[in-house]
Amino acid sequence: MAVQSNAHAARTGDNWFLKTVAFLSLLSGWTAAALIVASVFITCQMIFVRFVLNQSTIWQTEAVVYMMIAATMLGLPYVQRLRGHVNVDLIPLALPLKARKLLFYVTMSLSILVMGIMGFYAFEYWHIAWERNWRSDTVWGVRLWIPYLALPIGFALFILQLIADTVAVAIGVDKPFGIGEVS
Amino acid sequence: MDPLLLGAFVAIATILVLFSGVSVAVGLVIVSGGFLVIFDGFRSLELMPEVMFGKLNNFALLSIPMFIIMGAAIASTRAGADLYEALERWLTRVPGGLVVSNLGACALFSAMSGSSPATCAAIGKMGIPEMRKRGYPDAVAAGSIAAGGTLGILIPPSVTMIVYGIATETSIGRLFLAGVLPGLMLVGLFMAWSLYSTWKSGNTAVLRNVTYTWKEKFEILPRVAPFILIIIGVLYAMYGGVATPSETAAVGALLCVVIAMIIYKLWNVKDLWVVLRDSTKESVMILFIIGAAGVFSFMLSSLFITQSIAAWIGTLDVNPWVLMFAVNIFLLIAGFFLPPVAVILMAAPILLPIITSAGFDPIWFAVILTINMEIGLISPPVGLNLYVINGIAPDIKLKTILQGSLPYVACMVVAIILLCFFPGIATWLPNAVMGPAL
Amino acid sequence: ADLRLSHQWSTQDIRHQVAQMVADGVAEADVGLEITIYPSRSLFAPREQYNPLSRGQLDMTVLPLSYAGGQQPAYNLTLMPGLVKNHDHAARLNNSPFMERLEEIMAEDDVMVLVHGYLAGGFAGVDECITAPEDIEGKQTRAAGRAFEQMLAGAGASITSMASSEIYNAMQTGVLDAANTSSSSFVSYRIYEQVSCYTPAGDTALWFMYQPLLMNKSTFDGLTAEQQEALMAAAAEAEAFYLEEAKKEDAASVDVFREAGVEIAEMSPENFEAWRALAQETSYAAFVADYPEGQELLDLALSVE
Ligand code: NA
Ligand code: NA
Repeated sequence: MAVQSNAHAARTGDNWFLKTVAFLSLLSGWTAAALIVASVFITCQMIFVRFVLNQSTIWQTEAVVYMMIAATMLGLPYVQRLRGHVNVDLIPLALPLKARKLLFYVTMSLSILVMGIMGFYAFEYWHIAWERNWRSDTVWGVRLWIPYLALPIGFALFILQLIADTVAVAIGVDKPFGIGEVS
Repeated sequence: MDPLLLGAFVAIATILVLFSGVSVAVGLVIVSGGFLVIFDGFRSLELMPEVMFGKLNNFALLSIPMFIIMGAAIASTRAGADLYEALERWLTRVPGGLVVSNLGACALFSAMSGSSPATCAAIGKMGIPEMRKRGYPDAVAAGSIAAGGTLGILIPPSVTMIVYGIATETSIGRLFLAGVLPGLMLVGLFMAWSLYSTWKSGNTAVLRNVTYTWKEKFEILPRVAPFILIIIGVLYAMYGGVATPSETAAVGALLCVVIAMIIYKLWNVKDLWVVLRDSTKESVMILFIIGAAGVFSFMLSSLFITQSIAAWIGTLDVNPWVLMFAVNIFLLIAGFFLPPVAVILMAAPILLPIITSAGFDPIWFAVILTINMEIGLISPPVGLNLYVINGIAPDIKLKTILQGSLPYVACMVVAIILLCFFPGIATWLPNAVMGPAL
Repeated sequence: ADLRLSHQWSTQDIRHQVAQMVADGVAEADVGLEITIYPSRSLFAPREQYNPLSRGQLDMTVLPLSYAGGQQPAYNLTLMPGLVKNHDHAARLNNSPFMERLEEIMAEDDVMVLVHGYLAGGFAGVDECITAPEDIEGKQTRAAGRAFEQMLAGAGASITSMASSEIYNAMQTGVLDAANTSSSSFVSYRIYEQVSCYTPAGDTALWFMYQPLLMNKSTFDGLTAEQQEALMAAAAEAEAFYLEEAKKEDAASVDVFREAGVEIAEMSPENFEAWRALAQETSYAAFVADYPEGQELLDLALSVE
């Protein structure tokens, strides 16, 4: 199957590390879902304030945008755990098991590396905003380190889940690319 | 290095990386990071998170999770079945009422959902078993729903139209309107093919309808009322001065969840969590691709690849229609492999200047692009809708689903050709409602 | 050397033409310096340009300096109601101690100005003219910039934030009753189709936004003397052009609105004073409250005749 949208969620077996990471990802996913629900209500509140009360709406759009970004970032590890990040596994499918396993380790290492770079510079970006007390240029003027914080945290948890997925294959709890498992 | 040659390398690297099983979003960042390091130096990597943040820092993106929640909430109830049942009871004079009703239900449901897999699942869950029970060929039962589901991204609201609107800075309200008539035209083509193929299969008995009494006809009406309520509510909010299109999505999401809870008794916390979980999963997947594609297009632009390709095609001096044909083939192939959002984000910045300078309307082109993406949803190797159907009816072989879907692909190609000859099918409604385009 | 210039404007926009003039001038001078322009936000999102510029990852940009007002509060003065009265006054401000102080602050971020320039804007109302503060009371309004939002809120307007590209739709559907933005945005987004009255920037105008062509200072210092000279010469030429075109743009927008049958209103000196008095209580006060060191700068700006 080429798309893993219906593949099985990450397996943890009895491994304490995998279980811990799975729990962190779940927690992160709940936070993301909660942020999405909150943005529904905030947007509706904004429409109500403007359309019914005819009053100013200063903070809502900005808050909702930052919450969406945070939901995306915090959702990364959870969606990775659910195998929800769409992928195309034409090459792995064409490979024999041993080569497929090798390719899996290569792609996972690359993913971890690149997300690590993103995470590192995201942390730096956050740190500058925090140190220099940057604010947004709106009336609300929110301290930017707050929305920026979602980036390093999201990337860190995402990397953790990617490591866990690699470990799961290494210790035989999961199969590379989830190919060949009964779903 | 010559930017065009560099572009060819990027294309090859992207294909290799994306086919290697790595997720599409991460793959795009891997390719971008690699080329930035080699050709722009290490320091350009510093910019990647900022670029991603900048891409996601857009209020219009809010409507993506919202329109996904709308569909997911309603799809988790038996509303889809109510919808086609009601249509069937009222369409007794139309031959092949059931398949026609199912396709009609797909079209109506599309007006409440921004995504195609959700539409597919909502109608297919009950619709496919029912059609098979009545004796429709498996291929027609599965194919019609797979194809009908793709309307989710053509008939507004549509997640891919939002993404196109953001990527190309075209009005989302206008794009939504442009999808309406082509969507209805496609439904018509789908219906025609379904009837013809069922008739040709020799089992004409299924085309004869069950007759319903007036009591049965009226009995079901209240069960469709919620849909009408949602659609009218959303339309009123969007075009009646209550909210901008991006904000309307939140009203729609809240309305759908409330209606699912009150009318369809979706009270159970577990069931509600499933709706929220699935919506979060799909939204995060799409938003991450948007952010990653932002990094990818930053790389392309930074290395001057986007600009060089556009300039190169500008010098080709080919007939605009030859160009349009080539663009369609390109989109079709890209759509075979990649999810619509990724194709739009990677292709739109390069294609749009070419399209507009060749004299084509960007709103019309959005519709052409979307239909191409719909084809990708029901074609191998990556056809999201095919797998949704496979999940709903596991005993129908993937091969049968595929065979059943192929004729609908032909319908979509016909639609593209019709749109090329009569662009007004796409542009008339937005122009009539919102005045001529900017 | 190859320098990269990023901006958010279309290639028809004045601000692109200013950048193009500098690029052409430098190329003509043949000093081994080339400027590549990335227009229409093809490289960075508008608000994501100042950081890379200050860190030297982007060499040049044309941007409203107030976009970075959250990082350097002093920049908020470059989009302050009533601080600039007209284009000639703006030109005098560019050569004043006020601007010198601002450039010192920019230098802290390793940023310098190549071309100074202000663009003006006005107000448009769906049903009524907006000239005096009392005209805006109770209306749903979109304002360009934080200081203007504060002032309009002080006049009793309801503020809703949205991109200028959304104004047309919002007015058409009735979400918005009035808007304040730049002359060029009023024209390019065809707001004249949705409004009955336009108050353009005239002899006295409220809305002026400082939108210079900026460069990374270290990058500039790293050029040869010959290259620097060529760059400054091209920039001086572009600055004169920028001022002339900025004036023409306001007049052109009036023509477009008049042709579309929109009533053209004028802001009288009394109206201007009323707005400025209001701004003093609202936006100026908020600015100083946020940034006490700003009082000195504000006084410097107000002292320019
Ligand atoms: Na839809
Ligand atoms: Na496909």
